[in-house]
Amino acid sequence: MTKKYVMLADTLRCIDCKACVVACRAEWETPMGYSRDWVKQAEFVKEDGSPRVMLFPGRCQHCDDAPCIEACPSGAAYKREDGMVLQDDAICSGCELCVPACPYDARWLNPETNTISKCTFCQPRVDQGLEPACVQTCVGRALIFGDMNDSESEVAKLLKEKEWVKLTTDEVNIGPNHYYYTNGEALPDEIMPKLHEHHLPGKVMEIVNPIGTIAIGGMLLTFLGAGLFKLIGRRNEVCTSENKEEK
Amino acid sequence: MSHDKNFDPSRRAFLGASVAGSALTIAGLPSQALARVNAPHDHEKLKPTTEVFGFCDMCYWRCGLKIRSRDGRAVKIDGNPEHPNNWGVVCGKGNAGLMVAYAPNRLKYPMKRAEGSKRGENKWEKISWDEALQTTADELLKVKKKYGPQALALIGHGSWEKPYHRLAHAFGTPNTTSPVFGLCCGPRGLSNMMIMGRNLTGNETLDLENCKYFLMMGRNVTESLHNGETLGWVNGVANGAKVVYFDPRYSITASKADEYYAIRPLTDHAFLLAMINVVINEELYDKKFVAEYVVGFDELKQRVQKYTPEWAEPITEVPAKDIIRLAKEMAAKAPSVFVYAPRRLTRTSNDFGTGMSITILNTLFGVWGRKGGVFTPQKYKVPEIDLPEFEHATAHRVDSGGDFNYEQPEVPLEHIQDEDGKYHRADGAGVIGRWPIANAQYGLTNEMWRAMAEQKPYPIRALMTAGGNGFLNSTNYDIIRKALETVDFYVASDVIPNEMNMYADILLPEASYLERYDDLQVGGAREGYVAVRMPAMKPLHDTRDAWTICKQLAKRMELGAYFPHESIKELLDDRLKKAGSSLAEIEKVGILKVPADPVKNFPLDHGGKLKIKTPGGSTKAELIPGMLKQMGYDKALDYVEQVRPKEDEFHMTFGRIGFHTHARTQDNIWTADLMRENVLWIHPEPAAKRGINEGDLVKVSDRKGRSGEIKAKVTPRIRKDTIFMVHGFGHWDKRMTTANGQGVADSNLASYAVDPHVGSMSMGLSLVKVEKV
Repeated sequence: MTKKYVMLADTLRCIDCKACVVACRAEWETPMGYSRDWVKQAEFVKEDGSPRVMLFPGRCQHCDDAPCIEACPSGAAYKREDGMVLQDDAICSGCELCVPACPYDARWLNPETNTISKCTFCQPRVDQGLEPACVQTCVGRALIFGDMNDSESEVAKLLKEKEWVKLTTDEVNIGPNHYYYTNGEALPDEIMPKLHEHHLPGKVMEIVNPIGTIAIGGMLLTFLGAGLFKLIGRRNEVCTSENKEEK
Repeated sequence: MSHDKNFDPSRRAFLGASVAGSALTIAGLPSQALARVNAPHDHEKLKPTTEVFGFCDMCYWRCGLKIRSRDGRAVKIDGNPEHPNNWGVVCGKGNAGLMVAYAPNRLKYPMKRAEGSKRGENKWEKISWDEALQTTADELLKVKKKYGPQALALIGHGSWEKPYHRLAHAFGTPNTTSPVFGLCCGPRGLSNMMIMGRNLTGNETLDLENCKYFLMMGRNVTESLHNGETLGWVNGVANGAKVVYFDPRYSITASKADEYYAIRPLTDHAFLLAMINVVINEELYDKKFVAEYVVGFDELKQRVQKYTPEWAEPITEVPAKDIIRLAKEMAAKAPSVFVYAPRRLTRTSNDFGTGMSITILNTLFGVWGRKGGVFTPQKYKVPEIDLPEFEHATAHRVDSGGDFNYEQPEVPLEHIQDEDGKYHRADGAGVIGRWPIANAQYGLTNEMWRAMAEQKPYPIRALMTAGGNGFLNSTNYDIIRKALETVDFYVASDVIPNEMNMYADILLPEASYLERYDDLQVGGAREGYVAVRMPAMKPLHDTRDAWTICKQLAKRMELGAYFPHESIKELLDDRLKKAGSSLAEIEKVGILKVPADPVKNFPLDHGGKLKIKTPGGSTKAELIPGMLKQMGYDKALDYVEQVRPKEDEFHMTFGRIGFHTHARTQDNIWTADLMRENVLWIHPEPAAKRGINEGDLVKVSDRKGRSGEIKAKVTPRIRKDTIFMVHGFGHWDKRMTTANGQGVADSNLASYAVDPHVGSMSMGLSLVKVEKV
């Protein structure tokens, strides 16, 4: 059966120690000030007046209907058969159109490489049979990763055992593959995904197409143009290296 | 570069298109962009790495590590799944250990205080190792000749301090100390030792996974975090344990609790006494255990009669009915219960009484040697190397692999007397008439500073430090500064710069824990173990490891016999061979273990007996230790009124966060990226009264006139009469370019009163005012 990778976060086991964040930084050498994953602390007052804190470790949700893929004009953003939403650095132009497309704010432009960076579920590690770095290091074992289509996997068992929820709203429901367990406690608003105003879902093709609004199209073309110059260079590099290999 | 097999030629054409062509090609694609999903993409591959084993130096729990290296550089720190201190997980601090090695601000070569500059002026001249070592040896010998060997004090703080202690002992001074006792865990360690003869600190021997009820007295196990302990606790909670948490602040641990009490600061002792009262009067204790293993029950019963729940309620603000209920609930789950002491029990003016109450409650519930309670650890026997006799009788340090062993040296207290004309410890630890019950191995670091500053009871003219930061880990800056300025010679060893080593005459740069071997880690959990630290990379700078530095210093002071091996590797191999293994063998696996054994770990569940031997010589748990009674110190059992803030004042509290360790990670660029400065937690009500809003700069000042400016975090997560800040910030050493000037040093606001029985610090007695700047 096809694999379907999912991440589970048991918020009851998360202690906000940031092990996942630092492990990811070390594993993927992300530049200072940027991170592929995070822990959000929701701090609020309950109805009875007592304080409450909930913790939500997060990262790319590897959505089934990933708007980032749709937004990517170069084809660098793609979804693998096993569900991983990945990024092909070699052809990413760094145009950043995918950044506002993500309602979970999981994507950012790496200023060192000028390409988009995001959580890959640690695809290179997983392909070698290892756990994602964040999962391996997680102190409370709050993060659990695996193939939900494998009924013997820990994730498949846990998904059956407990009531898991996803971070979706009426507005944003794009099939995330990141599950959360809160033991029934309501999800605080502040951690829910939000559409970004300057993101135009499903519009990229129409805009680039002459049928699209000329004004927006023009704006976007200018925007794209900047990235395209880099893109061409990068593609030429790819071609060169490919040619070398073929010889 | 590798490719997917299903190569799509149309994509190649797309890649080769011109600018205009590209735009058109994009426009021509199906709107669902399906073609792209199936397009061939390179899949990133892991770059190959080599792996060595180690144990962590980022905090004092010492987790087992596997360090990945590439091209001679450490690139990732993973946990060793076989190590019982962490079972393969590593916290944020542990992961950030790489940035200790790569720290731009590291001490990179030996230095001396610049000619003509004053101590602490932070002006340095680069010198050779030869000059650094020779100057150090000459200066130490000068002091020895003039004042005697006892005029040297050594303060060590780190997983590599052991050779320095050995060097100091070989030198002949009894004055070696680590902050772990007087500034941190002393009273709790001592409580278990006096009552149970057990060492229940360091790597706690708690059966957390199977515990059914945690009564947590400010033990913020999720933020003052130690991987194995925290994971065990989280597992215990997931397994259904009830958590009742007491803390003036709603910490992350509070957010995991079933019940949370914002207890009045400094009053845990009153609550605990009332618990004891209920447990005894309602006969909730483990009668069989008490009959077989406990003495002093009747006397204790008499003594706690006045501490009723009703008495405790107005003091603690914990309702009497809740105290009674909690006692009953716990008894129902006993012995799989645990009253969890705070890690650092240097808070009130009677920490010893608080600690003893906790041990007493645990003993009444019969938790010792029981599943879900306290297990009996096993040991992997690794003999020490053969060394000549140390000149000073009390200098022997029991080696448990960590520096948290509270066993008293095998020297009866009375023999610490100066029979042979030798000196007692200058800090008075273990000395009759001064701090007789304080641990004489670790000493009272706070009192050692005082001894240096005041040159009493005898001159201390040379100071050697191995890691640590006297200013930020202690609280009396005047004393520490005076001490640092008074001694004739100060040599500091460390990996990173800080405010204390800023005062050194000679700075010896240590290799980071990723660049070196160190002596073995010998520990006891359910399984006994010995673990190795191997270098994961070549030293980046002109640094050396502690053992090598100490051996070379020893040689120059004609103490070479105490460092008989040619290299640290030879030392490790020698020790391991005596234990039936070898360095080559342990380097393959990182850790050797004696397997867990339920019969030994939980003797009382398997028809076995509990072996007890208290320092007072009793083979039963002494609820009121006879040794203390002789000294009149049993009065520590009684509650002592604590300071109260005036209407415009607050209790000053401080504590930990999960991704910083003490005062040593603020300049680590990865942990600083998570939190660069600390903030002052203040409740919305007193904040509003003072016009303080979130993020406002406020001035916090104590009754002694010490003060600092810090940003406010206005939050209902703290009591109205209490403020809180994360410990370890407010650095002022200009060499610490990341940490410098960020936040406020809690240590300069905390109290420097002293526990009257133990001599440890009572840091929580400080009362402060807060105003908007």
